[in-house]
Amino acid sequence: MRGNDDAILACRNVAVRYGDVTALDDVSIAFPRGMIHAVVGQNGAGKTTFARVVSGLVRPDQGAVEIGGKLIAGGNVNDARRAGVELVHQSFALPPSFTVAEAMQFGAAGGALYTRAALERRWQAHLDALDVKVSAGARIRTLTVEQQQAVEIARALVTDARLLILDEPTAVLSPEGAKKLFERVRRLKERGVTVLLILHKIREVLAIADTVSVLRGGRLIDGPLPASDIDADALASLIIGPSAKMLAGEDRAALTGAAAPRGAETETGPIAGPPVVSLRGVSTRPDADGPALQAVDFVVQPGEIVGIAGVEGNGQRTLVRAISSLADIAEGSLELAGRDVTNATLSQRRAAGLRVIPFERNVEGLSLTSPLWENWSAGQLLARPLLAAISPSALRRECKSALDAWDVRYAEVGQPAGSLSGGNAQKVILSREMDESGKLIIAAQPTRGLDIGATAFVWDALRKARDGGCGVIFVSSDLDEVFDLADRVVVMLSGRIVAEFRPPFDLTRVGAAMTGARA
Amino acid sequence: MSGQLGAIIRAVVFILLALAACGVIFEFAGYSAFQMFHSIVDGAFLRRNALEHALRWALPLFITATGVVISFRAGYFNIGAQGQFYVGAICAAFVAEWLRGYPGGVVIPLCFAAGMTGGALWALWPGLLRLRSGADEVITTLMGNFLAGLLLVYVTAGPLKDPSGSGQQASSRPLEAAYRISTSNGVSPTIIGIAILVGLAMWWLVNRTAFGVLSGLGGRNPTMVQWQGASTWKIGLASFLISGALAGLAGTIELMGPNGRLAGGFLPAHGFTAVLIALVAGLSITGAAIAAFFFGGLASAALYLPVMAGLPSAAIDIVNASIALFITARSRLVDTLTKAWRRPWKTS
Repeated sequence: MRGNDDAILACRNVAVRYGDVTALDDVSIAFPRGMIHAVVGQNGAGKTTFARVVSGLVRPDQGAVEIGGKLIAGGNVNDARRAGVELVHQSFALPPSFTVAEAMQFGAAGGALYTRAALERRWQAHLDALDVKVSAGARIRTLTVEQQQAVEIARALVTDARLLILDEPTAVLSPEGAKKLFERVRRLKERGVTVLLILHKIREVLAIADTVSVLRGGRLIDGPLPASDIDADALASLIIGPSAKMLAGEDRAALTGAAAPRGAETETGPIAGPPVVSLRGVSTRPDADGPALQAVDFVVQPGEIVGIAGVEGNGQRTLVRAISSLADIAEGSLELAGRDVTNATLSQRRAAGLRVIPFERNVEGLSLTSPLWENWSAGQLLARPLLAAISPSALRRECKSALDAWDVRYAEVGQPAGSLSGGNAQKVILSREMDESGKLIIAAQPTRGLDIGATAFVWDALRKARDGGCGVIFVSSDLDEVFDLADRVVVMLSGRIVAEFRPPFDLTRVGAAMTGARA
Repeated sequence: MSGQLGAIIRAVVFILLALAACGVIFEFAGYSAFQMFHSIVDGAFLRRNALEHALRWALPLFITATGVVISFRAGYFNIGAQGQFYVGAICAAFVAEWLRGYPGGVVIPLCFAAGMTGGALWALWPGLLRLRSGADEVITTLMGNFLAGLLLVYVTAGPLKDPSGSGQQASSRPLEAAYRISTSNGVSPTIIGIAILVGLAMWWLVNRTAFGVLSGLGGRNPTMVQWQGASTWKIGLASFLISGALAGLAGTIELMGPNGRLAGGFLPAHGFTAVLIALVAGLSITGAAIAAFFFGGLASAALYLPVMAGLPSAAIDIVNASIALFITARSRLVDTLTKAWRRPWKTS
């Protein structure tokens, strides 16, 4: 399409299909060298697939990829790597028990025999040259998220990479961490490396990128456009497309990260009276599943959504698990709707009005190989004795009417839960957890991986629950969506609640609290 | 139901593939595959009284297999049915020996209680180890099989030894005739009744109770049911105990029915065939009834082959092993072959 000899990367008519799903549809694009390029789009737009095709991880069903004018064999990582392409994944792949030097050596060229000291000297020099402030002898698991990412990038630059692809690098970072990452990216550009950033926040695109390209539903909508020529609003329209109408202004901004929503006091406000949940001085026993809670005081009133913000892995998961009886409370007390449930089982807590939308939809929320009606009725069956007689046909009927009421798209209630799309699977969980008798709803990363329509649906459901008098705990690592939805935000850091904010929310101050800096 | 039909077709395709592989092996071993299969089918299902002979093996196998279904469905791979079967038989034999002389109406129920309890206890310790500390039940129940086998040798050569025995093979004294629930042909209304009762009870447990749904969910995804508030202890322990008790029940039936005495190393493949039946049945109770009859027929053919057709009974071992291989390998070939019957789930 655009013949460009100066292009570091050119794709011609690239298409990728997974079964019935078209992940990339006839994408032709060329990126000039020496710049910072952003590729943006919603979940499911095909961004990650694009990155994987370019780096040789996925063989396109159609089309060709050229790096620096040289055609690379599709689906061959080594070929792409020899051409100078390196990809840093969204989820890090460094082995936690390795030292930094070992992780760098792993996959790099060099002799099979080495001493630890020699290895550390070699890689310390490389890290210093890239201004990564990490000791080469440190174990990966002791590094912060930012440091791990910096090491991943340094590792990608071990070979003479000419095109560095970062897949959603800011998703795991605090706003401050993202700023530092962008400085690092700019320095790479000065060294002559072309950087392709997969992003989904407009704010970040405009802060860093020289050009921007928009994917939607697997198609290239436009790009590469000079970033200086486009404003946030126009970009948001390109990203969201025709479904933009159904979104209110703040929701639209939150979805695209155009501008951080400030939040607003709800008209009604929280309902006075006994809180739906109250933690007093709660500490949990340390376990392998994230940092323990330390003396957490936390209250949710009926009729409010409390957002839990924080860099991932700072105890949000432990908080949810402690309230759900899946982490042991060592000290302190926990009350649900006025009842002390410190030592109660999850079943008893559910009976007291607790409902949980867990972090991992496909692991904690659903049994993918089991039929929908079994998934849907698990909670209510657990409230009965194990030998209680059940009528599968009655449960199927109840499940059907519940799923229909929640607008789930499915063929029949006997189909396995794994056959649903992410958004529909999440709706099944909503239909199970958001019944009338719930008093406290914990929604943990409920929109992760969902497309625009499903995300807006989940937000609306949580708002309705709040307006109906429920207390809602909303955990998300995406500050835009937290600000948009929450009536109050608390920030977690290393298993503690370190700050609390009320609207209007300020991105800088909340971001600072997330990293422990003083605002 | 398309799901059930698919499962049946899958199982049949598995078995046909396995038989084809067997045919190749038979030909290589110098036998005519056609003659071999003809004799097997003849011995298993066609000759006079074949159905009764098949039933003799199928009934205890079915009972043990339903227990395997219960534990496998819950996600616990209790492959110790063989050991639980032995311990059940041993416990029942002790009770029958101690109460020698008391009326059958008293002794028989106590033997059954002892046999089921023994089998359950032999499944209890691997269950506790698994649930308390995560010890792999595949390893512990497998080890339990060897322990139970040695225990059987000790008991038949020691405490329960038949002093008048010929010394060929150690065995216990024969049970009093009043305690037998069938003749040595192994089919009697009592045994059939027990099998039907067990089948109905387990079908109800799996398909019509909260336990059935929750153990099925937990077997496929234990994390999910934990987040729903399930205690893994209750369902897990119940699954181990039920599967052990049913294997023990089958052991008791073999003792008090066709065998009439304990013999060292009797029916060494019973538990493993039961595991095979459960897997071929796709962990369904109804399926297990059909599969048990099929494998019961094969078991009776194993006795028939050398006597009537002059063919080695090891042929049946090869058939069983091939089916096991194909079932456990979850061959992709079968997925492809049965794809036409498995409806992909379309959403509007």
